Amino acid sequence: MSSEIFTQLVDAHYTPLFRFALSLTKNPSDAGDLTQQTFFIWAKQGHALREEGKAKAWLFTTLYREFLRIRRRGERVSALEDLGPIESDPPAPEVDVVTGMDASLVVEALQEVDEVYRVPLTLFYMQDLSYKEIAEMIEAPIGTVMSRLSRGKAQLRAALARKEAGARGKVVAFQPNTARKQS
Amino acid sequence: MNNAEAKFILQGYRPNGTDADDATFTAALEQAKNDPGVAEWFARQRAFDAAISAKLAQIEPPADLRAAILAGGRVSGEARQRSWWNRPAWMAAAAGIAVMLGAGVVLWPKTAGAFMEFAVADAKMSAIHGGHGHENNTLQEILNSPDTKLGQKLPINFANLHETGCRTISFRGHDILELCFKRNGVWFHAYFARKTDFPNVAKNTTPVLQDRGSIAIASWTDEEHVIVVVSKTGRRNLEALL
Repeated sequence: MSSEIFTQLVDAHYTPLFRFALSLTKNPSDAGDLTQQTFFIWAKQGHALREEGKAKAWLFTTLYREFLRIRRRGERVSALEDLGPIESDPPAPEVDVVTGMDASLVVEALQEVDEVYRVPLTLFYMQDLSYKEIAEMIEAPIGTVMSRLSRGKAQLRAALARKEAGARGKVVAFQPNTARKQS
Repeated sequence: MNNAEAKFILQGYRPNGTDADDATFTAALEQAKNDPGVAEWFARQRAFDAAISAKLAQIEPPADLRAAILAGGRVSGEARQRSWWNRPAWMAAAAGIAVMLGAGVVLWPKTAGAFMEFAVADAKMSAIHGGHGHENNTLQEILNSPDTKLGQKLPINFANLHETGCRTISFRGHDILELCFKRNGVWFHAYFARKTDFPNVAKNTTPVLQDRGSIAIASWTDEEHVIVVVSKTGRRNLEALL
């Protein structure tokens, strides 16, 4: 594989891969390592991929599998059956509230979503892969992906509502202290 | 299809509209058109999804990550032990990549053809790239229009496009703008470079078509720009734009 192609591949995909890795690892440093490791695997094996158009899906899949491999064994991932039915209309902040939130706060809320839902949900919001590609990647039927998206969005809305309430609470608590110091 | 089924399916509809041509969503989208309740729910859903996507897109990798990937170095100075970094195979591969990169700079052909090969390689890597901003959208609409012919004068304001969110990639240290557009159900990739960055490219206001296997390329220049349009679906689709 030529250096030029490799550089282009890195430029085209390292940012979305990092964002996906960040949602998985919840830690920027680990996310950076995971992204690098993914390109390392590409450097070793990627040249064997005959269809360059599939490079993106290959990289995302490889990153996800590498994450699963590295993660400590025995950690339990929540199963769909463990959770109750989807809330029909869970409380959620208004869109303009989300728009006004800091991006890092939104990512924190996303990281609070159970991993089984967070993986397809993050990929969905990155908009790089279709639900079919996501299904292939996580090796789940399409209906399962849709279901996980639905439940994941419900959890995300609830997490965002908590973040928003927390942010409002912090501001309220801060004012009296400030006033006391000033008086 | 009932409303609950339509909502279930539309959960997977990406807010940027990329899935508009996916048959899986056809019936559900139709339901959203015909049922005010589903329509309102879908509008709220898309607005919410778009807001989350926009927030996620604001997250930038560490400044040194790209260089670290290319050079095979570590992300930070933290002395965290990662067994795979210490493997000889990784060090060898990193060194190999560094050598390839160094050699690549020397071996790159100094012709305009290299820009075209760069555009082809970039187009191959993704079906649809991202880009946003008013300037981006305006130019995209013009390119989407069946009345627009390749080679005609386009309102390209390079600086504005770059600053307002048009996808920008780097080639030999020069900014290249890339914008996807759709005609007759087929996606094309348009690449715009400043002519001053490629002074050796001859003036050629009439698009010239070339083939790279199943990929077709049209290239031309205007007063200020070198323009390359790549079609991954062959020459006939590109010829239809002339």
